[in-house]
Amino acid sequence: MKDIAAYAVEAMVKAGADKASCTVSSGRKDELNVETNNFSLLRTLFEDKLSLKAIKGGRKGTITVNKLDKESVNKAVEECITLTASATPDEAEDIAPMVENKNFNRLIGGSDMAQLFARSKELLETVADQYPQINLDLNSIFNNRKSVYANSNGAEFCDETEYYSLSTNFTAKEGEASSSFNYYYTMMDSLAMPFLDMGMQRSLIEDSVKSLKTRTIDDKFVGKIIVAPSCDDMVWYTILSCFLSNYALISDTSRWKDALGTVVADKKLTMCAAPLAPEIIAAERFSGDGFVSQDADFIRDGVLTSFALDLYGANKTGKPRTANTSFYNIEVAAGDTPLADMVKGIDKGILLNRFSGASPGPSGDISGVAKNSFLIENGQITDAISETMVSFNIVDILKNIPAISKERSANGVTLLPWCCFDGITVSGK
Amino acid sequence: MLQDLLTTHKSAFKDYTELRAQVNTTRRVSLVAGNMMANAQVSEGGVSARVYRGGTFGFASAASYTHEGVKNVLSAATDNAIFMDSHVKKGKPPLPGVKAGNQPLVTTPGADIPQSLLVEFAQAVDALVVEKYKNLSSRTVAANILDIEKLLVVSDGMDSHFYQPRSMIYVFMTAETADGVPVELMRSLGGFGRFDELFTNPALLTCELDMLYESLMKKREGVYAEAGLHKCILGSEMGGMLAHEAVGHTVEADIVLNGSVAAHNLNKQVASEMVSMVDFAHTALGKPCPLPVYVDDEGVQAEDAVLIENGILKAFMHSRDTARQFGVAPQGNARAFTYSDEPLIRMRNTAILPGRDKLEDMIASIDNGYYLVKTGNGQADSTGEFMFSVDEGYEIKNGKLGKAIRETTVSGVAFEMLKTVDMISDDMHWDSSGFCGKKQAMTTGMGGPALRCDINIGGK
Repeated sequence: MKDIAAYAVEAMVKAGADKASCTVSSGRKDELNVETNNFSLLRTLFEDKLSLKAIKGGRKGTITVNKLDKESVNKAVEECITLTASATPDEAEDIAPMVENKNFNRLIGGSDMAQLFARSKELLETVADQYPQINLDLNSIFNNRKSVYANSNGAEFCDETEYYSLSTNFTAKEGEASSSFNYYYTMMDSLAMPFLDMGMQRSLIEDSVKSLKTRTIDDKFVGKIIVAPSCDDMVWYTILSCFLSNYALISDTSRWKDALGTVVADKKLTMCAAPLAPEIIAAERFSGDGFVSQDADFIRDGVLTSFALDLYGANKTGKPRTANTSFYNIEVAAGDTPLADMVKGIDKGILLNRFSGASPGPSGDISGVAKNSFLIENGQITDAISETMVSFNIVDILKNIPAISKERSANGVTLLPWCCFDGITVSGK
Repeated sequence: MLQDLLTTHKSAFKDYTELRAQVNTTRRVSLVAGNMMANAQVSEGGVSARVYRGGTFGFASAASYTHEGVKNVLSAATDNAIFMDSHVKKGKPPLPGVKAGNQPLVTTPGADIPQSLLVEFAQAVDALVVEKYKNLSSRTVAANILDIEKLLVVSDGMDSHFYQPRSMIYVFMTAETADGVPVELMRSLGGFGRFDELFTNPALLTCELDMLYESLMKKREGVYAEAGLHKCILGSEMGGMLAHEAVGHTVEADIVLNGSVAAHNLNKQVASEMVSMVDFAHTALGKPCPLPVYVDDEGVQAEDAVLIENGILKAFMHSRDTARQFGVAPQGNARAFTYSDEPLIRMRNTAILPGRDKLEDMIASIDNGYYLVKTGNGQADSTGEFMFSVDEGYEIKNGKLGKAIRETTVSGVAFEMLKTVDMISDDMHWDSSGFCGKKQAMTTGMGGPALRCDINIGGK
């Protein structure tokens, strides 16, 4: 594969590119599928990918194909160079310098399909025994992938990775009553642990059973919500997409565009992209634009310390490049309050396990439905709720964080605590 | 165009088998505040096989579309089917047969479209936006093409050759409120067809862009909606989202089996008698659907699925496997997005049928409520509790449109909310610009009229 990457880079340069980069990957995926508590499918994917980037006179073209034979590589090179001719010149387009070439190896000994099947079956049987109301779909997967990056500055990286992943989707059903569906995703580097014991898997299934009977909120109030780690898209990924991303900064729509070095959140909040954290599985070791990845703070003690910018975004905006592009591997620092005490401190609020909401716009206004969630009354978690909407502005609530839990939950992708926000509008029917 | 390397392998089929060659080609140009952030082409193609044995499936895919590659995926899929059958031991009989035949191409792939055409068109639209609309703080113009071509050979059913071109222009406009908060609106234009046939002249988009700008100028003066249950008009663009999210997902048979409330509502009143809803295959109300499907990826000839008729829930959408479980005939809803995806139960062109009311009469009938016009995304639930975003909406005060509202969300329980529908407009809007997510992405069409109903709205 290194030969293919080197060949493609050289071919692009020969064809007139001033700068060129290539990522080649090849791998295999074996996926067990369960539909409604029954095994249904075993799926094997043999996957190849070739991604080329050429810059000619500041004009960029990118092409991705899933063939690695010489004829396909030659055709992709030719088409990539053709793409550059149609582009607008942009001085911000660049590739990484060669600093130190590296190889990474995170192989775990290949796939153990018998054990993957056994763990999946164990999950089905345990759930059927302990939570008979649950209907469970799952995909349990073994992934093997080798990736090579090379560019015309001489940078070259290779990464061989293997890991397992589990995706579950579940609903409690009893008579004619159904809970909201919920889902959970986990990545792991071994099959040592039963699937039910991973991260929030068991507690979310238990909460689904508890959600067979729900209550609606009759009134409207402004109060506190505790956002569980399973609800990662509501706050953390919204911050990334609306305020920190290439798009937000280049489109000039980020409300934090001039906030670097200033307070944007309560001082309890520290948030980073942490691909190297031991709890994070199979994350990037080199970025798509050719840099070795390091962990990177976005917010430290409430102060905005970095945007989420790749090389192009940094060059375009004049702001610093972020030390990785593994922005989904979010880590939020633990707080100093036990989760139980956070609940005790709330007179009326919600424990939010899942949020079904609108894609947020640049204003930061967000609203949606609280799913698989519970009312907190007088310091205690009481009833499961339905038909309850929460509305807030994310810029405002980040400055209004009464507590962050001591406990954190890891699912191989993120490492997050429970976080309490105040000033949320909660409304029922 | 894909060459048929599949048919010669049909003689090697032992169990029920699908063999599919497919190429998805994407072209993408994105101008963010005039900066070309994307100038990209992606081609993803290959061959896959799915084999059924004793109640479970084995599937395999590979990028290499050669006779050797076909043999390899057939062998790997068969091995997987054997593995599953030996471990699971369901002992089920073969899937019931369906109509056999051959569906040739309905739309033929044309000459390749050069990337420069997308670039030049996007640049022209961007220039038009910059020149004409002076109060914008930012704008994004994107041009996208997604072409899907499939060849399907099955051991039992319809073999087919399918081609679906989809070409879109997306325009985002951003302006700031008086206190400096950015607000945004987007229009998607296009749908089924070749880019060079749908987009011949950027100036022809001016009318749509004028309306987008005008709406944005109102939105930047917008107010927060009052949270709670309100009498609302869901505009015709929202009607399609309602059909897809609130009802469509709930009546997919795999979701039904997994716990959807729809399971207990078959042949029961789930909506006002005014409401009828159909998942159309390829032709709706005498016209071609936005994204026609003639044969699904299990080789089933596609037919319309009547889901709700005069308020009564009549049917679910099925794969061949779930159709057998429910004792009905499949209607062609099993679809796969890429060559390496297995067929899942998916909607095709799902629509609430138009009624007899005039939109202006519907608005005039409300003293205090909202007219909700544009949506961005939505989500269904097994409980029937749906959500979708409201990107553009207006207050209705004393029968007249009032101030615009800021972004919000509406929600409700589908089979309760649909019973409150008491007026339906006589027009209809189709949309096919987005992707539905359910393990895989999928292109779908969704359509609807405007509806008057009671619905829960987020806000302050």
